[in-house]
Amino acid sequence: MAILVDKHSKVMVQGMTGGAGKFHAERMLAYGTQIVGGTSPGKGGATVAGKPVFDTVGECVKQTGADVSVIFLPAAAVKEAAIEAIRAGIKFLVVIPEHIPIHDMLYVREEAVRAKATVIGGNTAGVITPGEANLGIMPDIAFQPGRVGTVSRSGSITYYVADTLTRTGYGQTTCVGLGGDPVLGSTFDEILWKFEEDPKTKAVVMCGEIGGVYEERATMIIPKMKKPVLVMIGGVFAPPGKRMGHAGAIVEGTMGTAKEKLEQLAKSGAHACRTFRDIPETLKKLGV
Amino acid sequence: MRLYEFEGKELFRKFKIPLSDSRLARHPHEVVSAVEQLGGPVVLKSQVLIGGRGKAGGIKLADTPAQAEKIAADLLKLTIKGYPVEMLLIEPKLDIKREFYIGVTIDRANYKLVVIASGEGGVDIEEVAAKHPEKIFKRSLSVEQPFYGFEALEMAKQIGMPSELLRPAADIIVNLYRMFKAYDAKLVEINPLVLTGDGKLIAADARVSLDDDAVFRHADLKSMGIEKRHEEGEMTEREQVAQAQGIPYLDLDGDIGMFPGGAGFGIMGNDFIQYYGGKPANFMDSGGGPTPERIAQMLVLLDENPNVKAIFGARFGGISRCDDFAKGVVMFLKNHGLSKPIVMRMTGNMWEEGVRIFEEAKKENPALFKHVEFHGIETEIEEISKRAVELAKEASK
Repeated sequence: MAILVDKHSKVMVQGMTGGAGKFHAERMLAYGTQIVGGTSPGKGGATVAGKPVFDTVGECVKQTGADVSVIFLPAAAVKEAAIEAIRAGIKFLVVIPEHIPIHDMLYVREEAVRAKATVIGGNTAGVITPGEANLGIMPDIAFQPGRVGTVSRSGSITYYVADTLTRTGYGQTTCVGLGGDPVLGSTFDEILWKFEEDPKTKAVVMCGEIGGVYEERATMIIPKMKKPVLVMIGGVFAPPGKRMGHAGAIVEGTMGTAKEKLEQLAKSGAHACRTFRDIPETLKKLGV
Repeated sequence: MRLYEFEGKELFRKFKIPLSDSRLARHPHEVVSAVEQLGGPVVLKSQVLIGGRGKAGGIKLADTPAQAEKIAADLLKLTIKGYPVEMLLIEPKLDIKREFYIGVTIDRANYKLVVIASGEGGVDIEEVAAKHPEKIFKRSLSVEQPFYGFEALEMAKQIGMPSELLRPAADIIVNLYRMFKAYDAKLVEINPLVLTGDGKLIAADARVSLDDDAVFRHADLKSMGIEKRHEEGEMTEREQVAQAQGIPYLDLDGDIGMFPGGAGFGIMGNDFIQYYGGKPANFMDSGGGPTPERIAQMLVLLDENPNVKAIFGARFGGISRCDDFAKGVVMFLKNHGLSKPIVMRMTGNMWEEGVRIFEEAKKENPALFKHVEFHGIETEIEEISKRAVELAKEASK
């Protein structure tokens, strides 16, 4: 079992004839992901990596039965592409590009909530269910099938956490990159709950960072979960008010500081970890 | 990205939000003609991209052109929180009877747009919200939902707008909301919205923050001189150099040069160094698939920083490739040379190729690698962090 994606998922790529779309479609396919086709308006009839390309998502869904889409398009095109996919019946969308206009993501979120679809990203490294499917740009080497779920705002942190779980024998059920943009398709609490409902996941590692608003939402759901949640927050030592990389990482008053987030999460029952090494040690103590 | 008050007001003007007549001046002599044109007592407002300019002495009153000229000369020498004052907005002094607050922003946690209004304007609105939440009125709505005039009218009533001004006030609220949507704003505020002695409503200030990522679809901004801008504030020389090269970089006050990969581990890596007793000299996001040339540039930035005693490097190849990383490091070693010890770890996409590039370069010229400690997936990142702290301590002895 896994959340969001597994070996049965039929995956399409929006923007499949572009440089990044083609490169990563081939990579995902090589990993064993069931890529069934893709879209590129005006290039319907072409093939990429041996898979058919369609003009519209509707055609692709009808012909291939695709139920998941990974978007490799310029940020300006994401709003329309995502809404098109949701209206064509896609229930899970991974939005790789960064710098998507905030208002656009608000529209995408409205559409997704209405259709009960899940969108993750933008600015995400993707989602991987090790051994089954890899959606996005994550490096295979860090991952191994196992029993811990991970959810993180940052790609690089996802790799380190997975690497730690792999080398200590825990492995991962699914690793979800929420993304680094200021407004995200999905939030920590929503993904945590999916892990709670997944029988194979025995614990969840959640990694947040300074800035943004989504870590705080997790504090409402963690007390309701039976599974342990381990949490790391980046930027505990960061000087307040300084810009740290992507837009989501700007300190917003007291909400948004790493210390505040960590304290609130710990209060809600999460197990705080300071280094990656703390993760397997904590899991062991919890009997996972 | 924040707009100057005068730029925000230009957008207000397009949406028929009532304003005073105003003049922009860059030199004291321009202020004289501005005051003569406007007539009567004026207010001189420093144009900077940061709040709190009033408290910092950036807003002054003047009665005559001569007095205004003198005050302007002083204001134009001022630096407010790192921002030099280069422009002044001159407006007639208002006869203020009451002040209100109106704003629109995004509640990101709940995916809503929020219209906010208060009968307490002209003050720190966050403080009012914290101490007297009952004085703040909010209306949340989804980005797809229309915001009707009657809803704005209700808000105008809630904040105690006199009845003869309910309609004009509602128009202002609706128009501010329309502007927020039309320009992909993150925040628009009128604080204060002034009720004058002669019964008019005037937007006395404009605070507007737009979404950098959406500027591309508002061509008219460019014609107004508003282009995507970095909020600079007080930048160090190295930060300016880095920015010019497009490298996300911040100077900190420690002695370990940080070269950690993407933004997420960029932040976490700095925590690790401090957890193990060291202090980072900088923050850097070196992720997102940098070219070898870019990698080399980043290393130059660290190596030339006199505060740096040792360098911490990490690469987990995702969208970034380890072979490009290795090429960049080798390019730096050959062209620039390394004057500080570096400890680094590399794994992820294309790591075998990266290792091969390192080994070949080392065979060719072992001297280049004298200060380089190189690790792969077999070493935990915690060990690399500890080692960087040790190296910096040794170098400080």
